[in-house]
Amino acid sequence: MVRELNLKKWIGPSLIHLFFWAFTIASLIPFILVFMVSISSEDSILQNGYSLFPSHISFAAYQFLFNDFSEIAKAYGVTILSTIIGTVVSLLITALFAYPLSRPDLPFRSTLSFYIFFTMLFGGGMVPWYITYVNMFDLKNTIFAMIIPNLLLSAFNVLLMRSFFASTIPESVVESATIDGAGELRIFFKIVLPLSLPIMATIGLFNTLAYWNDWYNCMLFIDKPELYNIQYLMTKTLTNIQYLLMKSNSSAQVGDLLAKMPRETVRMALAIVGIAPLLFAYPFFQKYYISGITSGAVKG
Amino acid sequence: MKKAHQLVFLIMLCGMLALTGCAKGDSGKTADSKNSATGEKGKDSDSSLSPYKITLVYPATAPKDLQLVQDEMSKYLTEKINATIELKPIEWASWDDKTNLMKISNEPFDLMFTASWFSYPKDAAKGQYLELDDLMAQYGKDIPGVLGDDFIKGSRIGGKLYALPTKKEFGQGFGFLLDKKLVDKYKFDTSGVKSLEDMEAMFKTIKENEPGITPIVSSKFTNIWEASNYDGIVANLAIPRDSKELKAVDTLEDPKFIEFYKRMHQWNQNGWFDKDVLTSDADQGMNMIKAGKAFAVAQSLKPGKDKEMSLSSGVDVIQVETAEPFTTTGDAQGAMLGISRTSKDPARAMMFLNMLYSDPKLLNMLDWGIEGKHYVKKSENMIDFPEGVNADTQTYPNPGGWMFGNQFNSYLWANEDPNKWEEFQKFNDRAERSIALGFAFNQEPVKSEMASIANVEKEFGASLRSGAVDPEKILAKWIEKRKAAGFDKVKAEVDKQLAEWAQTK
Repeated sequence: MVRELNLKKWIGPSLIHLFFWAFTIASLIPFILVFMVSISSEDSILQNGYSLFPSHISFAAYQFLFNDFSEIAKAYGVTILSTIIGTVVSLLITALFAYPLSRPDLPFRSTLSFYIFFTMLFGGGMVPWYITYVNMFDLKNTIFAMIIPNLLLSAFNVLLMRSFFASTIPESVVESATIDGAGELRIFFKIVLPLSLPIMATIGLFNTLAYWNDWYNCMLFIDKPELYNIQYLMTKTLTNIQYLLMKSNSSAQVGDLLAKMPRETVRMALAIVGIAPLLFAYPFFQKYYISGITSGAVKG
Repeated sequence: MKKAHQLVFLIMLCGMLALTGCAKGDSGKTADSKNSATGEKGKDSDSSLSPYKITLVYPATAPKDLQLVQDEMSKYLTEKINATIELKPIEWASWDDKTNLMKISNEPFDLMFTASWFSYPKDAAKGQYLELDDLMAQYGKDIPGVLGDDFIKGSRIGGKLYALPTKKEFGQGFGFLLDKKLVDKYKFDTSGVKSLEDMEAMFKTIKENEPGITPIVSSKFTNIWEASNYDGIVANLAIPRDSKELKAVDTLEDPKFIEFYKRMHQWNQNGWFDKDVLTSDADQGMNMIKAGKAFAVAQSLKPGKDKEMSLSSGVDVIQVETAEPFTTTGDAQGAMLGISRTSKDPARAMMFLNMLYSDPKLLNMLDWGIEGKHYVKKSENMIDFPEGVNADTQTYPNPGGWMFGNQFNSYLWANEDPNKWEEFQKFNDRAERSIALGFAFNQEPVKSEMASIANVEKEFGASLRSGAVDPEKILAKWIEKRKAAGFDKVKAEVDKQLAEWAQTK
């Protein structure tokens, strides 16, 4: 009887473990495959297709990339710069908007909340959005094109932060600070922000990832290769080939273009070079990510 | 509360008005300049041209030395027409998104690459490109002589010229690229090949004697066969190649077509195709030949195609033609340059175009870069890489000579056939013109039917083309479903537009 119970106790968790092991491996295999293809020789891929165990190991693809590493280095610079500036500024703006909304004594509070909420339901559409940034603000081919559009203010994040402030910052704290003679700004920076680090970390991380992974703005607004970011550099290499394949029936010339495109192994090597730093950095982020979300969910 | 609402709405309203005001003003301006530019502006600027920057937008990956080449070209252009140039290569993958937004947002640029397979008819209908006849008569005097009547006729839409085609191969050749090793091994005589029957004998030999080798890769061959026998208009409506009258037939009911697909079915039964025949393409075919796993792949051909492919893939192939070259509207409009409605000085853009057709020096700067830095001359029109540079390390790879002006003025690479352009000329002269050359179907009136017909085609097309099923059965089903999708309406529209077009000829 007792033993049976033990067995039951043991089976459940081990099944769960097994499932997660399988899941982990399934997530890792694509990465490993990409890496293995990137260190195979081109000929072995033509002969045997992709394989997890390359028959000929060759670093030709990496040599090809590092021949002209300046392009990749620049793209990294652009990505890192826009990520840092973008994250800090967007976090500040979000907080500065969300905090007043959380205060019950703000005039027109519900109206302002509704205006931010309204943007979640209705957008102006692609074309006006583009025209605004290109014709009115002239952001084309500037690094701001990858910082300002889209990401500076996410309405959802504002509402998330507002409810966090409303539920965790006690009214009495603000009141007593006012009695002690603190102004609004001082209260915000000295009292409210330190008390709400968890939500800051969480939303900061959301923003960081959004900036890091953004290639779409770069595609639309940037024509100059020296301003490409790393994500777009990778995206364009792969999608150029897909696009040309799609068009290859309609034009004889496209076939010749395809023949000149970077080879299979080079594409994979580029993908590895693009994700490697993030892979190394992620375990360090992970810690904050989890604690940020959980402490955001627990009240008190 | 109410006041605040009103206030915010007022602000919003003002903003909106300001925005629309801007847009309105812009479009008004461009419309004005369109009228004046072609008229007055040109007349008084012959003697003293004011400096102007020409912007050229084309699909390519931006090369490293773009700026250098741009400066060099600007220097030369300043001497000639007092203009500088801005080259704007746009990645292939972002082309659709980016250029659509550029067009909609009235971005000023002068010249843009376009083609029939690149939404030329659609953009021309929207008025994105200026009409060029008057401009050409005034500032592009050399162009008609270089292009010839057929090219220009083929580029017109509704009788009007909205873009100028590159002078390149005028038509498509049809046939196969064969693995040279195997051709030599079995001593195939490729010079006498003229028909599919001749090909079948080869495939049979390969199948019987080379167990590890696929005789023919990819069902894309059927597209090429269709293109060589029909001038396809839309949705299986096409004009047969030797047709004397301007009348579209339905290929699905055409005996020649059905017989061909019975043959494909037979080929499939014989096991001549590769196992991925449904999805594989010519690119994969070349790779399989390179890996020694395949014998033939079908291709659109032009003179020297086999040499080009041998160079780029590193495996020796031979081309055989199974049909004479054929010229349709799509070939005439295969690569063109249009002048945008947002150009601030269309006259100058036309002068630049004129130079692309008549001035080898300018064209070769655009195609190959700067002499001594990006290439060295071996003879009058043959070039090679400078010392220490190769295909992987070059800093100005060719953006595509087939996109600009007169390709026959472009230098030839040392490993190319020195007589390439003569061969091209012969090829162009030999190509049969379709009776409907210059006709382009406007899909707008039957857009929704077209979408559903395309869906029906998705369902049946691939299995028919790969020969996987008996064509008789599948065609009957296809025709029935297509009818339900509104095929009759499309056919009526095609007949109507063909008749209208015949009137304008």
